[in-house]
Amino acid sequence: MTTSTATADEGSIDGRSPAAPALELRGVSKSYPGVRALSDVSFTLQRYQMIGLVGENGAGKSTLLSIVNGTVRPDSGSIRINGADVRFGHPTEASRNGIATVFQEQGLIPNIPVFENIFLGREKRFAVGGWLLRKAMIDEAKQVLDELQIDVTPTSLTGSLTFGQRQLVEIAKAFALKRVYPVEPIILLDEPTSALSDMEAEKLFEGIRRWRSQASFVLVSHRLADVFATCDEVVALKDGEVIDQRPINSIDEPGLHELIVGRQRNEEYYREAIQRNPSDTVVLHAENIMREGHLEGVSLDLHEGEILGIAGVLGSGKSSLARIIAGADSQDEGRVDAFGTVLDVGSRQSAIRQGIGYVPAERHAEGIIGTASVEWNLTLPNLRQLGLGLLGLISQSKSRRLTTEWIDRLKVRASGPAASCRTLSGGNQQKIVFAKWLASGARILVLDDPGRGLDVGAKEDIYGLMREITANGGAIMLVSDNLPELIGLSNRILVLRQGKVSAIFDAPKEDKPREVDVVAAML
Amino acid sequence: MTGTGKKKITADINLRTILLPLVAIVVLIVYFTYVNPLFFSYANAINIGRQSAVLLIVALAGTVVILIGSIDLSVGAQVTLTGILAALTVDKFGAVGATLISVGVGALVGLINGGLVTALKVPSFLVTLGMLSVLSGVSNQISRGQSILFMNGSLTDIVNGTYLLGIPNVIWFALIAVLILTIVAFYTKLGRYLYAIGGGEIVAANAGVPVIFYKVLTFALAGAICGFAGVVMTGQIGAGTPTAGGSLLLNSIAAVVMGGTALSGGVGGPHRTFLGVLVIAILTNGMDVTEVNSFTQDIVKGIVIILAVSLTIDRSKYPFIK
Repeated sequence: MTTSTATADEGSIDGRSPAAPALELRGVSKSYPGVRALSDVSFTLQRYQMIGLVGENGAGKSTLLSIVNGTVRPDSGSIRINGADVRFGHPTEASRNGIATVFQEQGLIPNIPVFENIFLGREKRFAVGGWLLRKAMIDEAKQVLDELQIDVTPTSLTGSLTFGQRQLVEIAKAFALKRVYPVEPIILLDEPTSALSDMEAEKLFEGIRRWRSQASFVLVSHRLADVFATCDEVVALKDGEVIDQRPINSIDEPGLHELIVGRQRNEEYYREAIQRNPSDTVVLHAENIMREGHLEGVSLDLHEGEILGIAGVLGSGKSSLARIIAGADSQDEGRVDAFGTVLDVGSRQSAIRQGIGYVPAERHAEGIIGTASVEWNLTLPNLRQLGLGLLGLISQSKSRRLTTEWIDRLKVRASGPAASCRTLSGGNQQKIVFAKWLASGARILVLDDPGRGLDVGAKEDIYGLMREITANGGAIMLVSDNLPELIGLSNRILVLRQGKVSAIFDAPKEDKPREVDVVAAML
Repeated sequence: MTGTGKKKITADINLRTILLPLVAIVVLIVYFTYVNPLFFSYANAINIGRQSAVLLIVALAGTVVILIGSIDLSVGAQVTLTGILAALTVDKFGAVGATLISVGVGALVGLINGGLVTALKVPSFLVTLGMLSVLSGVSNQISRGQSILFMNGSLTDIVNGTYLLGIPNVIWFALIAVLILTIVAFYTKLGRYLYAIGGGEIVAANAGVPVIFYKVLTFALAGAICGFAGVVMTGQIGAGTPTAGGSLLLNSIAAVVMGGTALSGGVGGPHRTFLGVLVIAILTNGMDVTEVNSFTQDIVKGIVIILAVSLTIDRSKYPFIK
């Protein structure tokens, strides 16, 4: 304890037992249509403790945070704060109990001054009649910032601050809660360092270490190093379940990684037995691809019948590489050629002409049109095949036939070609995205995290499909956050670290590389 | 369980957007007939058609732009301008020449709208609001605020004549326009792309749709349709007037939305707009026939529009309402 103003940690607060954990979740479950986001999640956050919440994309970390901060209501289970049961229907109720979230995408309003953001929604105590005591607000905001040793002027415009400063303001906002409600803050940090420079990140963690005696923290981070540097305990999530909660000093980084990745790689699951040997024919070649802030000179070859896995942590440039090769983004330098033809920079049309299909990571925003039918989604890049007659009208029978053919071949569960795409489950939607390119005769598929958000069965279908595609001579570039998937499926794995190739692993079916080795190349 | 619940809501919204205009049409017809039996007559039906033909054509222009998720607020002003141009040129170039000029100018205006939206990345709402003002100014300047009369009788004859089945040609024009645009919407690449861009612009781009090209093309198409509406309107009135297109903007958007084309894009279509226009047209004509004064008419129309939209809007598409 460095400051004398922290009256809040003198024994019990608000009559609640000081011994009770700050936050306790018991048996929390949440399902969305087609996905079980969380099942029976329990964990405990002791007062003044900091726990790290780790897991792969889609493991349920975000849902869990949303449940704690009141934006999502769990289907079942209980939440206790300082020993008292709570049931949030609204974020305001959560903040009344001291819960504050520091978001990846920031929760501050840029066009108002810092002090207004700090007290946003809690201006009442500064109100006299209909007027706000501006001076009092500024003074108090200044006090809060000073106590936390955050070097930001309360009257400056929030939007003019750097990203790192804004993050600190968010934390100040959380501490300011204490002045409004008699509670100690429980601060949820959601990937706080993902957009910070190393120096800014260090500053943030320095602050957090200082504030540890005044608040409890939950840190969600992809950077395991951050977790090791700051947390007391770690909670590992996998497919919506808590795998383990344990003290941080009882585990090392590779061990934690294995914990996150969870179950052993299952050869059956990834159809490794039918992994084929690619031919020597290079179908796609990328040469020295550069993109400011993402990639610093990446070259690769993709062979006929090959699955080339691209591994890397968030920010390694792997998604950017996929987008550039598919023509959805443009590179600053370097070129891509497919089947001997150089592709136009940043042109999907050019890539499609060479038979490059693209399955983006954000299925809902980039892969399928929810309001349109299965038929219209599937035929979107394939209308030329359906042209008929002098007027160039689309043949409805050809369109229908093409759609039903692919629905049957990929076993898509839909009420029919006219079914609205948003009524389909995630796995079936993903099959439509694949079908769209297979129907176009694509020979190269660029897949960005094709299993994201899919349940086990749907993933299995997609993996089977990928094997079938390569068996027929197709080539696949697979970007994935899921290491067992990447190792299980790929013939070769190219590892990116900070925009450069850091390693290439051969991954023949009889001799798959070990996860720890791949992880070592990623970090 | 949640899955089926969601499905049901989706189905309900589809059903509601189709049923609402139909139910509205039936209810309005029954009500107005009850108040004034003369409402339900062949002569009045033709009358309704004549009164709403231009609105229907303009609403089709609005529909294509709304389908891609944009909006064109300058449709009424485009009709006014091209109507005046038709009146100014018909004596020299004849009905066909005047039509070509109006349609061409309309397409050019649309091209500029679309070009500004895509090149400057300014929302279509603002670009076309500016265009509305510019075009109104231009219309008033070239007409000096006066109605433009013309001598050539061929235009008025073609528009107001009755060549087929005793139905005025202007109604045929509007119906043919609906038919053509419905075919375009469902049976052509352009149509499919309109829906794709409105439903998911990034998805369309990833599928190789040249999104910018088709956006500009859509605005140009809307402009051309407005140009055609301008000629028809001038033929119908027998003069080009700088105020003629004034009520078209609000009525056309009302009709488009009432028909079930979502302002968020990707849903609905020209066939739906046809029903929407019918509702507006029957409502307007019915209130005329039942001697509701024109101020009250505006109030009623406004309320009907808000009610209709509140019943048919698919709120799942909006994270929050602005």
